[in-house]
Amino acid sequence: MNIELSDITRKFGRNTAVDRVTLEAGPGVLGLLGPNGAGKTSLLRMLATILPPSSGQLTLLGRDPRNPADRREIRRRLGYLPQNLGYYPSFTVVEFVEYFALLKEMPPHLVTKAVAAAVEQVDLGSKAKAKLRTLSGGMLRRVGIAQAIVNEPELLLFDEPTAGLDPEQRVAFRALMRDFGQTATVVVSTHLVEDVGAACSEVALMSNGKIVFRGTPAELTVRGETGQGVGDAPLERGYSAILAAARA
Amino acid sequence: MTMTPPDGVDLDRVWTNVAAEVWRRHPGRLERTATRFLRSPGLARALLTTPSLLLPWLIATTVFLAVGALAQASAGQPLVWLIAPAVAAVGVAYAYGPGIDPAWELSCSCAVSYRMVLLTRAVAVFAVNAALGLAASAATVGTTASAHAAQLTFAWLIPMTAICAMALAVAVATRSANTGAAAGVAAWIIVVLGWSAASSAPGAAGVSLTAAVTDPSLYLPYLAVAACCAVIVGYATRPQRGTQ
Repeated sequence: MNIELSDITRKFGRNTAVDRVTLEAGPGVLGLLGPNGAGKTSLLRMLATILPPSSGQLTLLGRDPRNPADRREIRRRLGYLPQNLGYYPSFTVVEFVEYFALLKEMPPHLVTKAVAAAVEQVDLGSKAKAKLRTLSGGMLRRVGIAQAIVNEPELLLFDEPTAGLDPEQRVAFRALMRDFGQTATVVVSTHLVEDVGAACSEVALMSNGKIVFRGTPAELTVRGETGQGVGDAPLERGYSAILAAARA
Repeated sequence: MTMTPPDGVDLDRVWTNVAAEVWRRHPGRLERTATRFLRSPGLARALLTTPSLLLPWLIATTVFLAVGALAQASAGQPLVWLIAPAVAAVGVAYAYGPGIDPAWELSCSCAVSYRMVLLTRAVAVFAVNAALGLAASAATVGTTASAHAAQLTFAWLIPMTAICAMALAVAVATRSANTGAAAGVAAWIIVVLGWSAASSAPGAAGVSLTAAVTDPSLYLPYLAVAACCAVIVGYATRPQRGTQ
């Protein structure tokens, strides 16, 4: 298992963002769904080793991130796209991706080809030498995706990755996630249920810091048929039925 | 006419290799040297990109020089001298921290410790300002401005550069930014208190905690410490035979 969480809790003052979450995940694409404030981003930041849990046991890639040496090794094998990724406007696409490849301690002789491959994978080859300040929001998002995948991570974390992408790019990105899910654990936090239906092999639904559903997209759809969900698509009905039940 | 690739040729792979060569960025001599000294291409790149991150650079430099000027104006206040380096370091940390650095969160998820990056950037801010201070005092030689610039450079910029370089040397050698920062703070306290004790010895003229920065006889030692730290880091990180 690449991710093993046991009774993980994260508090900010009196507010409990993540409440005793237990979760295991191996290779595949896990969709993390939930309304705003459900705790998805806090959970993802703990998986990215940025935020330590207040309590509970967290093991990533078989290592304990509380140990500095283990944490460093995890980070070498991690890809992370934050929800609000900032950019250095004066960097070019290649410089930005290369900078983070180096900070991830990739072997220097592999960096150049890995950067080129990552830039091509997100279809930014024609903008490789363009300054980030000249790119559109969707292109910048793809730069963020490129830096996340440049080290071919075993644990890949995306927070709202498709925000700002046009439909064609979203389809391409889902294919990319499925490809990575063959060998790596991909966790994608989103509020777009269509992304989950198209790309995820499993879904975890969060509400008020807890995981209130874990299953396949098909199982989520079934819950919409039997519950009191509302929405235009079957997955949306499943999503709202589970949330309604959790709130009740 | 349509051209087809020979069997067994992966055009995507070929194109990626071509693109890698076309986009390849050749590190300059300075970056290669920094990579060797810091034992990390990531840290070296972070060091060299420090000035190009303009807003953090301006904030850090302004705070650094303002604290230096305040310390100069408070020559009789030992507490100011003891606290001033910490305030300057906090200013640099703030400038390159979560509020200003747009990619801070991403940097925190990387294998190269963000604290190490911060320490490296502090050295860059201090060293570049020290060089600018030297240049300013040389350019205005013979004037009152030159005297002020020289005083600020030798009594503030160079000591701070030396202390920070020492902290970075310890951090690189021990692979711990916390250890390096602790060593830097400890070194500064020892220098200030030690030189104060020495200057208050029988027969010595004056008793002042600020002797560590007002005594011109220490200027050269500060430069020597900075140079020694560079040599130590260079020696500690020299390429081993058979590894390259």
